[in-house]
Amino acid sequence: MRKKLPFLLCAVPLLFSAVAAPARAALDVPYDSYIYNYRGYIEFTPAPYVPTGTISGITLGVGAFANPQGMCVSPDGYVYVADSGNNRVVKISPDFTQAEVIDTFINNGEPDSFSRPFGVTVSEKNLLYVADTENRRVVVLNKDGALVQIVQNPRSEMLPDDYAFVPLKLAVDYADRVYVIARNMFQGIMVFTEEGEFTGFFGTISVKITLWQRFWRLFSTVEQRQSLFIATEFTGVDVDPMGFVYASFIDTDGVQAAFRLNPKGEDVIKRGENGNLGGDISVQYGRPSRMVDIIERGKGVYSMLDAERGRVFTYDNEGNMLYIFGGLGSQVGTFRQPVAIEDTGSGAFLALDADRQEIMVFSETEYGRLINLAVGMRYDGDEEEAVGVWEQVLTLNENLELANIGIGKAYLTAGDNAEAMKHLKLGMNRTYYSIAFKRYRNDFLKANLGYMLTAVILLLVCRFVWNRIINRGKKKGKGNLLADG
Amino acid sequence: MGKYFTRSKWEYFFRVLHAPLDSFYEIRHRNAGSVPLAFLTVIIFSFCYTLNRVFAGFIVNLTDPRTVNGFSDLQSVLLLYILFCIGNWSITCLMEGEGRFVDILTVTGYSFLPLILTFIPAIIISNALAANEEVIYTLIMGLGIAWTALLVLSGIMTIHNYTLLKTLITLLFTFVAMLIIIFVALLFFDLFNQVYVFFYSIYTEMILRN
Repeated sequence: MRKKLPFLLCAVPLLFSAVAAPARAALDVPYDSYIYNYRGYIEFTPAPYVPTGTISGITLGVGAFANPQGMCVSPDGYVYVADSGNNRVVKISPDFTQAEVIDTFINNGEPDSFSRPFGVTVSEKNLLYVADTENRRVVVLNKDGALVQIVQNPRSEMLPDDYAFVPLKLAVDYADRVYVIARNMFQGIMVFTEEGEFTGFFGTISVKITLWQRFWRLFSTVEQRQSLFIATEFTGVDVDPMGFVYASFIDTDGVQAAFRLNPKGEDVIKRGENGNLGGDISVQYGRPSRMVDIIERGKGVYSMLDAERGRVFTYDNEGNMLYIFGGLGSQVGTFRQPVAIEDTGSGAFLALDADRQEIMVFSETEYGRLINLAVGMRYDGDEEEAVGVWEQVLTLNENLELANIGIGKAYLTAGDNAEAMKHLKLGMNRTYYSIAFKRYRNDFLKANLGYMLTAVILLLVCRFVWNRIINRGKKKGKGNLLADG
Repeated sequence: MGKYFTRSKWEYFFRVLHAPLDSFYEIRHRNAGSVPLAFLTVIIFSFCYTLNRVFAGFIVNLTDPRTVNGFSDLQSVLLLYILFCIGNWSITCLMEGEGRFVDILTVTGYSFLPLILTFIPAIIISNALAANEEVIYTLIMGLGIAWTALLVLSGIMTIHNYTLLKTLITLLFTFVAMLIIIFVALLFFDLFNQVYVFFYSIYTEMILRN
């Protein structure tokens, strides 16, 4: 019997693993999925995305990638990778099995090629824009790989005469305006017209100087001042279908790492309940997140990639945090040096790693799908329909404040104030809670004011009667006293 | 125990609310006050403070319930109370104050009564308030704090037989004295810690040397 025991002990986990096999995919994720709640505490959540595989140059049969830096998905589902070290752009089919290499094109009748292309993007008209970094130009190719246009050597009175244009990342909007992040260009994102003419800067990041820094400035030399106050550069850019530009940058305070720029170039991003758009709340970890890429994912949802801890942060159009996933490491599904993210729009989420030289593919779990669905419904104004989805989300994660707020708001419109109050309180939303509470209080008063006033009047009558009885008694007493006296 | 909680002590305790100057005079010169009653007031106030942090309405209550600890609230309230009294005593001794330490304890403790009387209604009312109506809650709380401040001021003034200006000056000095006491206490603890660590390291040294 004694000898058998170890075998039995071994058999028990085996049995469990066999039974629980379908659920394992979601449990064996090599990173923590979590969210920050209203008070800034970490709350662990089910994984919204799980790693399902990798794509590398070798699996595609085009030779290993070398320091790939940029990635984008075209409207028809092709994935383009700026394979910087190999001076080429790789076009991957929507099912991730075949690849095509774009490394030469005909320029003025002569063959031309890329030099360290850093960023790549595809416009709505399916034109390929490549930031040809070391050649200091942006190359525009059509679907067949023929040259359409070259944007280079911008000249303007806003730029110094000897300005060297080094494009890194870029995005194109519906009107074919090109937004370019250039190296050492602190004034903002460079905007080019359809014809490739430089028109100006977009979304300057203002330098924040604290009172303490101002104090130190008094004692510092000119050289020190120059190194102390450097404006940050943008790190990622994307454009939504309405022409709003999303741009990420490195915020040393960890409070706001993204802009949503309207056509005038003003930041119109919403900050949410606890006002944090900077990824990890920096008191929880040593340093704030370092955002290196941002993508707009439709219906106002956007994701940012943090290279500091290899995490992907996703926010909705109101600035609420939806989910966080990803991490650094060497297992499948973790990053070493993540540089770009992309959403294929069909449930797969791609992340490009420059050090591992491959694209990691993540797929939506039930939890992630439901949240994306509910947020999309809310964005479209179908709040009542979204309630069913939010309730499903709550069964997977009971603590999600966003789901409670969604349900609470729907109850509020439906007129069930007590339920609305309950859910809005769980969601820590004071504004809407107060609206529900006011209505609840009014209803309560309407129903019960009659009784309350009746009670008051009855009490007054009782007192009046009581006084009369007492007074009569006293009078009698007095009369007796007088009679006795 | 009966001598501290007699009927007349309770009467003076509540008289403080509407006739503070008279009652404080009686407390100083006719032993109408009771130190245990003062401590009881402070303890009940600390309890009300904790209640307020937990049960005030959702709209006005920004406290994270996980951070509320009634016992540490009690500790810090009592500590501040005693610190204030010691600070005031050490200053008024030097500035010809007539009050004894017992009087300072009593008067300051009794002054917490308005806070208790306003905190509890404020908690109840706050549960019936919506946004934009927080001002009612703030008003009630502010009333209690102002009332208490006035009581402390008039109490200190009466028991030491000071003018108003001198009272204000002594109160200012009292806060300085409190800071100095805290500083000295920290210094003292640090020093003792170092002495302890010194002897402890000698002990470990000897143990490990054989």
